[in-house]
Amino acid sequence: MMPKQLISLTLNGLPRELAVEPSWTLLETVREALDLTGPKEGCGTGDCGACSMIVDGRLITSCLMLAPQAAGREITTIEGLQKNGSLDPVQQAFIDAGGLQCGFCIPGMVMAARHLLDHNREPSLTEIREALAGNLCRCTGYTKIYEAVQLATERMAAR
Amino acid sequence: MAQETKVRETQRTDANGHHAVGQRVKRLEGAAKVTGKTVYADDIKFPGLLHAKALYAPYAHALIKSIDTTKAKQLPGVHSVYTATDLPHYNRNDSNRRNLIFPDKEVLFYGQPVAAVLAEDPHVAEQAAGLIEVQWEVLPAVLDPVAAIEPGSPLVRDPLSDVDRSEERGHVSVDTQETEQEGAPSNIASHAPFKRGDVAAGFAEADVIVERSWKSAMVHQSYIEPHSTVADYDITGELKVWTSTQAPFYIRDELAQAFDLPENRIRIIATEVGGGFGGKIYLTELMVAALAIAVKRPVKYIMSRKDDMLAATPAPFAHIDLKTGMTKDGTLTALEARLIYDSGAFPGAPMLAGCMLIGGYYRCDNIDIQGYEVLTNKVSVGALRAPGAHNATFAIESHIDMMAKELGLDPLEVRIKNAVEEGDLMPNGQVYPRIGLRECLEAIAGSEVWRNRRAVEATPNRGVGLAIGGWLGGLQPASAICCLNPDGTVNVTVGSADITGTNTSFQQIAAEVLKLPLEMVNVTSGDTKTAPFAGMSAGSKTTYTVGRAVLLAAEDMKQQMFELAKQRLEVEPEDMEVAEGRVQVKGAPDRAMTFQRFGKLSTNFGAPFPVLVGRGAITARKSAPGFTAQAADVEVDPETGDITLHAFAIAQDAGFAINPLSVEGQMQGGASQGLGIALWEEMQYDEHGRLLNPNLLDYRLPTSRDLPPIETIIVEVPSEEGPFGARIVGEPSIVAGAAAVGNAVFNACGARVDEVPITPERLLRALGKL
Repeated sequence: MMPKQLISLTLNGLPRELAVEPSWTLLETVREALDLTGPKEGCGTGDCGACSMIVDGRLITSCLMLAPQAAGREITTIEGLQKNGSLDPVQQAFIDAGGLQCGFCIPGMVMAARHLLDHNREPSLTEIREALAGNLCRCTGYTKIYEAVQLATERMAAR
Repeated sequence: MAQETKVRETQRTDANGHHAVGQRVKRLEGAAKVTGKTVYADDIKFPGLLHAKALYAPYAHALIKSIDTTKAKQLPGVHSVYTATDLPHYNRNDSNRRNLIFPDKEVLFYGQPVAAVLAEDPHVAEQAAGLIEVQWEVLPAVLDPVAAIEPGSPLVRDPLSDVDRSEERGHVSVDTQETEQEGAPSNIASHAPFKRGDVAAGFAEADVIVERSWKSAMVHQSYIEPHSTVADYDITGELKVWTSTQAPFYIRDELAQAFDLPENRIRIIATEVGGGFGGKIYLTELMVAALAIAVKRPVKYIMSRKDDMLAATPAPFAHIDLKTGMTKDGTLTALEARLIYDSGAFPGAPMLAGCMLIGGYYRCDNIDIQGYEVLTNKVSVGALRAPGAHNATFAIESHIDMMAKELGLDPLEVRIKNAVEEGDLMPNGQVYPRIGLRECLEAIAGSEVWRNRRAVEATPNRGVGLAIGGWLGGLQPASAICCLNPDGTVNVTVGSADITGTNTSFQQIAAEVLKLPLEMVNVTSGDTKTAPFAGMSAGSKTTYTVGRAVLLAAEDMKQQMFELAKQRLEVEPEDMEVAEGRVQVKGAPDRAMTFQRFGKLSTNFGAPFPVLVGRGAITARKSAPGFTAQAADVEVDPETGDITLHAFAIAQDAGFAINPLSVEGQMQGGASQGLGIALWEEMQYDEHGRLLNPNLLDYRLPTSRDLPPIETIIVEVPSEEGPFGARIVGEPSIVAGAAAVGNAVFNACGARVDEVPITPERLLRALGKL
């Protein structure tokens, strides 16, 4: 086993210094070493998106990023979306629109939706469908997820 | 909002005075899910936890000549290695997948687990599994179920004995039994014949006869959370299992039998299920429990995606030969079918359901249906949402369109003309209770997708197709407890795993009975030591059965309150009612006692009332089948064979939608899975029986890019016994997609593809371009 490697990063707004296993993925590091179990592993090959995180403003599948690659970066997981104890408008919209069922894809799906709205304040349905295509949901058939993103868009515009 | 989604809202709060049921209610557990707080089995950690990784057979059929675990055990960090010979004792039966952990002499499918390694680091366990040395003697693999039923076919395995059908019974209840394998050894695990009338006479009467064979691929449930289980057998002799399952009580009973343990020494905690769809009943728990018993430490086993695709229980391939006849006026006169379901290496294929549905949608005096459940050297199959239904439906619903086309009849009207109704017979002679098939067809006629079909089809290569589907549903007793708290709030406890928002529906049911605001009722799924019994959350029966128990438990608590209030309110219970958190005298609402007062008077020190605990327990004997009609709008590229889905509509009879938000979600989700079956999903095996696509890149699930918003129409034809008229909901939605898309593709380009998924290659072949 390789020796642990010391890295610093910003996780959900807080600077952290970590000794990481160089062969571990960012997902494993967050789940196992930091006990943030929101992000999920559905495939381990970057196909399902359940492990999605926002890293330096980009949506990434954290099962494909090795822990040392996260050094110096700013990382947001599903646990980092709440602000001052209240839900992010995207999170609230998924609840209100019924855009969740089993919930396993949701930590990744919500991050993908948040990332979309960070970059496009008025996405069309086609743009929503494109932006979420890397996140598989097996339960909803996506209809209510589209509605959730549209609801979040409307509410954020109304602010 | 997505304009394409429209829901027919029935009158609510309304004539019936419902304030809680029939409302669009957000999920109880929504906030936990959107924040990542929900605990799934892989999120559980214990001190001393060992991770298990399995070694999976690299051949579809082979003898194990020897297993050498020396090198694996020598890898630093490995705790132990287990094979068939050193597992603790359990009651093994090699005929049933669920009664066998590791084989000791013969593997029957590619990916069958043969050994497990335990280590504190899962990576070490995985590496060590690769160091286990097995000497194999490769045997011929039998892979084609159609060839496998022929006399003289090589045998898949040793003959079966004492086959356990209990799991299949959890998904559908029909008054029929398949005949188990008997006589000379063959690969036919079971056979079921259904006959009525005289098919030869029926075909003689017909003006058009269509005869064709239909194939549907093996598909995987593809829950995003793979199978995940943690077990611990502690010093007290209690076996605890935290597992992603739809069926905690079923697992308890199975493990009790496997290890000769009393059921009250086993505690199954169903963690949040990250998708099940019938595939998460009982699979990994026996192995993980055995390992935990062996090492007396907690053991966690999380299947990788590849493990899950190799060694879980996907849905079967089926080959169906169908011959149907119809007269000019659109009357179905004869139906003859042979259904071959590929069960893989163990029995368990849902062939019976396919037989019941292929001859169960339409009235027909003359039927001859022969179902075969056939063994092959492939992974053994299990349930996927209405197990076995889509395979049979693809065949019959393609035929209806083909016959209507030949006769120049409208495909919708032909279906309405023949659709079964209350009092009609199923293939086994069972009589249909009240059902809403005709109403679903009438509803789909009003969908945008169907109404726009003429305009759509004016565009070259566009087509709209229709199909119906249904599911008979499972039946099992159920129970619930309803407790009043000192502050007047109510706790409901059930034993069912909440896989579809059922606990939210139970909240609505209890709140409705007690006339309480929703937030005053909370619902918990207890584990097998703390909750009253419930059947498995499968067969679409949870709201239908446990919901009734919740209704009775709340009713029971209410009646107890009425009895206790007699003295203080000075009226008989029949003159009391509940309203706004109070028990009050009818016509004199100022003479009342609040729920809070009852709560205090039944819990305080020296309180006069006994604790208020309502009990609901039911047996369910009468099914409430659910039907659906669906329409697809597709565009075909005749050069590449690509198919684009432009729009899709589903109408489904929910009986009464306790929570329309959840019901729509079930309809849309099931429809999307049906579309996956129609267009993309297929487990592909090579000529040696090796799975070629055990990952989510090559096994193609529907993505948001593929699926437009689904037009969703709830139909409500009340069931006779369900709570507030609710009937089964979860499963029918998956059933019709394959046939609806097949019919749409035909209408788009004139090519009839007889195998799903309808891949570009298959379409180009049907178009004569390959």
